Amino acid sequence: MTTATREQTGSTIVDVTGDIDMGTSPSLRKTLLESLKRSPRLVVNMRDVRYVDSSGIASLVEVLKEARNTQKKLILFGLNKAVQEVLQLTRLTRIFEIRETEEEALQA
Amino acid sequence: MSYDQGIEVRETPPASGPLSFRMKITSDPRLLPVVRSTVAEFAAIWGFEAEQCRKITLAVDEALSNVMRHAYKNRSDREIELNCQANADCLEFSFVDHGESADPARFCSQPLDDASLSGRGTHLIRQIMDEVCYQRQFGRNRLSLRKYLPGAKAKG
Repeated sequence: MTTATREQTGSTIVDVTGDIDMGTSPSLRKTLLESLKRSPRLVVNMRDVRYVDSSGIASLVEVLKEARNTQKKLILFGLNKAVQEVLQLTRLTRIFEIRETEEEALQA
Repeated sequence: MSYDQGIEVRETPPASGPLSFRMKITSDPRLLPVVRSTVAEFAAIWGFEAEQCRKITLAVDEALSNVMRHAYKNRSDREIELNCQANADCLEFSFVDHGESADPARFCSQPLDDASLSGRGTHLIRQIMDEVCYQRQFGRNRLSLRKYLPGAKAKG
């Protein structure tokens, strides 16, 4: 898994590529929490994430909690079918703000 | 891209009898993608459709991650044995490790708490698989997971 960070119109966008599992989720968690410190809106591009497990979901939940605690926003976009299925299985679809495209995520 | 890409999904399992294979891996999370690819392919050739292949792969991945995290406390040099068996009506996976024993309650009906950061792995396993059985015997943990083919009936 790799991440790349860019800034756009008051948001920090993190592009995530690859698999998020027990081996890679600590690195994602660290990147997202650091990015959240620097920006009021964190947008996570999941378009190139082909797999996420429960540790990846736990990392996203932790970042969401931190965003709520600090009155910031976390928005996910570009979730493929596999990632959506895991969110549905863990019954967490509703707690995240999810958009289909980057444009929609930036306007949210 | 996902694990079902490029995998030929068959409508019915081959009629030539059961299939099985065994993997011995070290408890290193870098091996998880290797197992995922193999299990996804195995489920596909046994006739599971793409969505079920992804879910079965997820359940196996979660079970292995639990062994690495809880039984072996994140030590990456321990041994895990994974047995995969394709029967006429189901796929069966068993995991054997020599780590610390698990709390059997984790594999029973654990409520899912939105606020909790742990426990989702076992929840996913129970959601996806038809039968989940954990045993502690002779200093070893053995977790068995079974997934029936669509139309085959899970035992009671």
